[in-house]
Amino acid sequence: MKKQLLDQIIKKKKNKDEFAIIINITNGKSCIYETNKPIDKNFEKHLEQIKNYFEKKKNGIIENTDIFVETYIRPIKVIIVGAVHISQYLVDYAKSLNFEISIIDPRGYFATEQRFPDLKIINKWPEEAFKEIETNENSALIALTHDPKIDDPALQHALKNKFYYIGALGSKKTHENRCKRLKEAGFSEEEINLIHGPIGIKLGGKSAPEIALSIIAQLVAETYKK
Amino acid sequence: MKNSFDEKILEEASDWLKVNQKVVLATVIQTWGSSPRQVGSRMIVNEKGDFSGSVSGGCVESAVVRECIGIIKDNKPFKKIEFKVSNESAWEVGLACGGEIAVYLEQII
Repeated sequence: MKKQLLDQIIKKKKNKDEFAIIINITNGKSCIYETNKPIDKNFEKHLEQIKNYFEKKKNGIIENTDIFVETYIRPIKVIIVGAVHISQYLVDYAKSLNFEISIIDPRGYFATEQRFPDLKIINKWPEEAFKEIETNENSALIALTHDPKIDDPALQHALKNKFYYIGALGSKKTHENRCKRLKEAGFSEEEINLIHGPIGIKLGGKSAPEIALSIIAQLVAETYKK
Repeated sequence: MKNSFDEKILEEASDWLKVNQKVVLATVIQTWGSSPRQVGSRMIVNEKGDFSGSVSGGCVESAVVRECIGIIKDNKPFKKIEFKVSNESAWEVGLACGGEIAVYLEQII
């Protein structure tokens, strides 16, 4: 592989582009494949098969060829509400698991650069903040403030937009009250039951990194269930 | 659904190149049976034999390092190697788990 190609791949990954690395394992040639862009001449013959692999998000050698395809998909978007202590650890875990994190917190004293270096924090109320983030059924929400003023509008947004994972921090009692409020706001029981509350898998730990681990574990598990 | 659980090996390769190391990229391109790492798993090796990442659960990495140093020495651009089930001989490199993998090695030039 040429260094130039490696640099291009890294740039595309950074931009969160969807693309594939294509390698001919018999002659050592390689290139990048992207939808709607012409492919390197050396690979034109296999374009249809490459396209097919790419669309199915598959990795591997195309049957009866010498062409290896490795597909890069956009990382899953995870929105955390609350720039709290647990979030600091979630950001660390998310980095190695390659989730794309955004944090929303209207409280300026939490959402500081000093607490979250290298991360854009949206210092607004959820209703306003969600106007800046494109979300869909491949998005996840982790609500951590356990303050109804902040968490509830975010939970409502996530339910309406059919996020595949929604979790909310708080005791069983806090969660019961939360469910009541959502019911009053017009959400069905079925919808409300989609919320993981209390959030996280049972690990037993109570410290911030342990809670963050239990949340991220649940998120990974739900990602593969989908 | 899968996430792009990427291990940032390519980024690390780029860092190694920046400090003028020679880098060979090893990628799992095919697996049969119960192999420990999935297709697309990667490791990088430099001319000194330093390595990062993995192509198995530690079963064949030492052999991959040797092969990578070899292709740097011989100035070969690429090579495909396969690893099969290990047999009784303790010194033989193989996959104790019973799987088979094919690994593609390429120098970054």
